[in-house]
Amino acid sequence: MTVRTLFIGLDGATFTVLNDLIKDKGAEGGAVMPFMASIFAKGSRAKLQSTPNPLTPPAWVSMMTGRGPGHHGVYDFIRAEERGDDVFFTLSDSRDCRVETIWSIASRQGKKVAALNFPFTAPPPKDLNGVMVPGFVPWRHLRRNSFPDTLYDRLKAIPGFNVQELAWDFEQEKQSGNELSDTDREEWVSYHLPREKQWFKVAEHLMSEEAPDLMAVLFDGVDKLQHQAWPYVDPAMQTAEPSAFHTRMRELSLGYFRQLDGFIEQLVKAAGPEVQVFMSSDHGFTASTEIVRINAYLAEKGYVHFRELPPGDAGQRRDNSYFAYLDWHKTIAYCRTPSCNGITIRVARNPGETGIAPSEYEAVRKRLIRDLEDLKDPETGERIITEIHKREDVFPGAAMESAPDLQLVLRDYGFVSVRNVLPVVEKRNYPIGTHHPDGVFFACGPGIESGKLLGKRHITDVAATLLYSLGLPVPSDFEGAVPPGMFTADYKAANPIVLGAATLSGTGGVQAEGMSDDEKQKIMEQLQLLGYME
Amino acid sequence: MSNLKKNTAIETVVAIVDDLTQDWGLDLESPISADSLVAADLQFASVDIIQLCVALEQCYGRRFGFQDLLMKDGSYVGDLTLGQFAAFVDTNLNSEGSPA
Repeated sequence: MTVRTLFIGLDGATFTVLNDLIKDKGAEGGAVMPFMASIFAKGSRAKLQSTPNPLTPPAWVSMMTGRGPGHHGVYDFIRAEERGDDVFFTLSDSRDCRVETIWSIASRQGKKVAALNFPFTAPPPKDLNGVMVPGFVPWRHLRRNSFPDTLYDRLKAIPGFNVQELAWDFEQEKQSGNELSDTDREEWVSYHLPREKQWFKVAEHLMSEEAPDLMAVLFDGVDKLQHQAWPYVDPAMQTAEPSAFHTRMRELSLGYFRQLDGFIEQLVKAAGPEVQVFMSSDHGFTASTEIVRINAYLAEKGYVHFRELPPGDAGQRRDNSYFAYLDWHKTIAYCRTPSCNGITIRVARNPGETGIAPSEYEAVRKRLIRDLEDLKDPETGERIITEIHKREDVFPGAAMESAPDLQLVLRDYGFVSVRNVLPVVEKRNYPIGTHHPDGVFFACGPGIESGKLLGKRHITDVAATLLYSLGLPVPSDFEGAVPPGMFTADYKAANPIVLGAATLSGTGGVQAEGMSDDEKQKIMEQLQLLGYME
Repeated sequence: MSNLKKNTAIETVVAIVDDLTQDWGLDLESPISADSLVAADLQFASVDIIQLCVALEQCYGRRFGFQDLLMKDGSYVGDLTLGQFAAFVDTNLNSEGSPA
């Protein structure tokens, strides 16, 4: 085994939960994650600041590229194109990333990589030195999107391999954003146990067979579980006398983390004593307690004009689709998707296009910010939208024009709703998990400081750190850096941090095909799986 | 993915769909051909159509703007044959456009 660097992604992991799970509860039983406890003790760790919208696509792509969304250009699951008097939507994929990933950077410098289950790695790069199985791809398309093209048949030969357990199941996952029955919530948590086991088996197998310099695997069940099971894992939400259902759900959720701890332990031990281990999440988690129907609010203010729903089933489906169904001739500013948490101002730049005149942009944006600031809790007077960022302030870079004009942060960190439903702000029946900007980053192994808590780092630091661990220069155009204090002074003296040449261009930024209305609706239904829907 | 580009667009489309669907367990009444309907015969869902479009674009190394095939007069086209996909690819290949 010659793995030099082991990177384990934990989608949505937060110290809020992990710090509780590593505690030895004495008479109540030992720690849920004893191996994680040992990593905390012998390694260094830091909170990790996510992207301005702490969401899987921009955050993981930043983690993989060392650069922010203003450079890589991936802001959401869906990419929209304003075309005349209509807006076309398509799913983002790896071709939309405009900058080079660490998988390619390491490959072209002779390092062998294995990258498993990372989002936006499909279709895979052609220049990879190693193996790749993408995440967020339905099982029917995993063969075509795995690299090399002989890999899929090798995976099928792994004892117990079940691609339908391993990959996305949109039908199953689309439940996650809904308010589920108790039975469905229980099934939801149970569903993720075998998925993680499949990824673990694939990682264990490929690490042994390939012996890559960089072994990387993402476990995304943490995020999925916490969306529906947050009240059962957040230490602050536990009570002295929980209901029988609460107790059962907590035990089931803790069972997930117990299993995950075992997988991590086995991977670290299989990698050998010389390996440097890094783990990080794309964002943290917290509780969302209210629904904020942002397009309904913008309609009240005259920016959004909803289209009349078609009669019958089509209208019902449209109403339930959570997708903005707008009159593009009249709408001048709107929220495209719940997951984007942003506002796009429609500017008519060419003859025949609808929207405001370019000369009106600054005045409209200023008025829009004022109106968004005015959305307040009628009882307390507190602002519902606590942060409103102009895109040039948070997404500087060549890909800024693809960003929302305004990026919003809600007071409970929730994701907005784009439905035409009132009231604009409504309390949820029960809290659900939502993304918090503070993720996690920790490391252990030879050359890593022991038991050290570092100051907060940024998500773009992960890519720089992984390349440094591989013995490679950190590209000069990376935004992230190797965290000071993570590595020992002796290690850094023997292995100086070297700034190297800038990255090569990515492949993205070209025009993609659009989708029909029906396609858009189906995709949005599929995105309910990600838990960003009302 | 291995290079599935053939002499004609329809041969390429059929080869890609053959490759794409090999693990799906489809019980087809007739072999995949230009007359095969993606939804009715091959049980494509929306995400499968997107993947077919991506596969074709990768094979030819360029974007095709498939919205012009998937939509007509602002509405969704109910179903499409592989022959229609091939004809669309042919039209695009024969028109001006820069490779990706």
